[in-house]
Amino acid sequence: MKPSRARAGRPSVPPVAYAFVLPAVLFMVATVLYPLAFTVDLSFRDVGLREIVAGGGEFAGLANYRAELGGAEFRSALWTSMVYTVVSVALSFAAGLALAVFLNHRFPGRGLLRSALLVAWVLPSVVSANIWRWLLDGTYGLLNAALRGLGLLDADVFWLVQPATALASVIVATVWSTAPFAMILLLAGLQSIPGPVHEAATIDGAGPWQRFSRITLPLLRPVSVTVLLLLFVTTFKTFDTIYLMTRGGPGDATTILPIHAYLEAFSFFRFGTGAAATTIMLLIPLALSLFYFRALRREEVA
Amino acid sequence: MRRVGPARWAALLVVLAASLTGCGGGDGGDGPGALRFWHFYGPPDSATGGPLVKLIEKYERAHPGVTVEVRHIPFGEFNRTLLQAAAGRELPDVALIGATATQAMAEAGIISDLTPRVTAWGKQAGFLPASWNTTQVGGKTYGLPHVADSYAIYYNTDIFRRAGTEPPKTWAELGETARKLARDGRQGLAISGIEGEEGATALVIRLLAAGGDPAKVDTPQGRAALRHLKVMVDRGAVSKGMLGWNEEDVKNQFANGRAAMMINSATYVSTLRTENPDLKWDVALLPGDARRTTFLAAENLTITSGSARPDAAWDLLTWMQRPDVLAEYLPARNKLPARTDVPDDGDEIRAVFREQLRSAWAPTGALARNSTEVFTHIQGALQAAVSGSVPVERALADAQRKIDEALTR
Repeated sequence: MKPSRARAGRPSVPPVAYAFVLPAVLFMVATVLYPLAFTVDLSFRDVGLREIVAGGGEFAGLANYRAELGGAEFRSALWTSMVYTVVSVALSFAAGLALAVFLNHRFPGRGLLRSALLVAWVLPSVVSANIWRWLLDGTYGLLNAALRGLGLLDADVFWLVQPATALASVIVATVWSTAPFAMILLLAGLQSIPGPVHEAATIDGAGPWQRFSRITLPLLRPVSVTVLLLLFVTTFKTFDTIYLMTRGGPGDATTILPIHAYLEAFSFFRFGTGAAATTIMLLIPLALSLFYFRALRREEVA
Repeated sequence: MRRVGPARWAALLVVLAASLTGCGGGDGGDGPGALRFWHFYGPPDSATGGPLVKLIEKYERAHPGVTVEVRHIPFGEFNRTLLQAAAGRELPDVALIGATATQAMAEAGIISDLTPRVTAWGKQAGFLPASWNTTQVGGKTYGLPHVADSYAIYYNTDIFRRAGTEPPKTWAELGETARKLARDGRQGLAISGIEGEEGATALVIRLLAAGGDPAKVDTPQGRAALRHLKVMVDRGAVSKGMLGWNEEDVKNQFANGRAAMMINSATYVSTLRTENPDLKWDVALLPGDARRTTFLAAENLTITSGSARPDAAWDLLTWMQRPDVLAEYLPARNKLPARTDVPDDGDEIRAVFREQLRSAWAPTGALARNSTEVFTHIQGALQAAVSGSVPVERALADAQRKIDEALTR
């Protein structure tokens, strides 16, 4: 499907075709658009426990947004979100690319290794987050035991209760599960690069690093942009991994925006500000996606 | 302030399963006579949930024709689930809620006013004042106290005998004793300081002992309390790991001999007896400085505003509060009576907790309405100061600002 042709002259669609799309549209409206509209509506109202039960809630204009954007908690959560997302995405992309390049070579057991790596991605985060919690526990965790065995540690280190190590820990846990996803997409990209291109470069005297930086990387660009965008969007809205590992703590060291919004709405029962936080949260990946689609279209036109 | 302690992920799996199976809307199997009863104590096969299920089965046997459908929802998800049920008009008949949540639930119209029924019943004078006060909202009664629990000091008598020490009488003594007994990877005192409201209990107890008020933490009493806990951690008397421990983790530290003392509730008395029969331990009252006040951990039985059969629900509630019924239930449940007319079970350990319960504190008024948030901020101050991210003064000033915001909203 080439967008350029679609724009040039849209083929006429028989009216009955719309009937076939209708169930999907209704499903989308009921499961995506309605909750979305409900949340946005909520974000403009003063809604507490009583209003959420009985309905109603006075229109509050931009008060919720003002409270959120002016509040120290929201700003801290936004900053933590950006640090967490950018670092996780960068590491995940780098690890995914390294794995993809490695697994693009032919060697025995390659298929097995590929599938084994994907386990990290398909494992439910409830399971992986708790495995990480156990590994990193200060008293009986495997990491401390290993470090102690190597003579690198003489006292218990409580990885998840110190601000800096807690943030690093949730980033590692995130990268561990998202890197295989990046790997599989990048691997597909690598395999679409025709072999003769590399052969020609080799004949011209290009070394392995030159072939990687001058041929592989540029040809991988469209896939890379997609991978980075998908990683950003999924990482930005992470909730379960962090909630299970640290509940946003210690203090607010790992309180990213989704955790902040959850606490506002479901722990402190301030649904209006919680909805405002969620709505603002929605705008960031949305803006990135729009930017991405425009870039994509420009590339295809070119 | 945690009362149930299943592994958190198992709890989440249960929620997931419950949310999947719950989609049908509870019309599978319960006839017209079934009362729906929600609680957060634990699954039917757990030490905390089992006794409640047995108690209700006993009620069903004594009342042919009445069936009660009991559903367990993990503590962390309970209020949210009840709220969603209220918004979706799917409330159960009876909800066993945390005592501190009573005010918010009453003001939101989720639970109903029981004042006329209680007046006709006439047994309210038998309840402990601290417990009864948690059911009062705007001069009306919104629940019956189910059980009560208090915090005291568990101590390892073997370790104390070898060191030739006695249980401490003041917090200064507690700090000294804990420091002396901490050695070879063992901590002197284990407490829970986990993220969220449940990790606030130790600091609240320390603050109450100093004569402070949990709504006013940026005070000399607040600073003395937090500074003392921080010093205990800095000197190795209390493990920094406590910032990640819930009360069950604290019990495990004590049970494995990794802690000479712990602050915990009566919930673990039988667990320690059955699971660690070789451990030698006893219980002492909390140290008393300005006050010897414990934190009241309690649950209230409430009838929701969505109940179609409030009379049947009320009958169940009053039956559950009969002294003879409680006398059998409480030892199995490891809880203390919220009433003064329940016969003593003769257990010396539980007698200490009952004694401690006489000086119990529970939030009231605006503090009760916002207790989840206020306790979360108190834990935040503990966390920030103990981990060393900010000085004690800053941690308390930050917490006070957030508490004031919550209380004036």
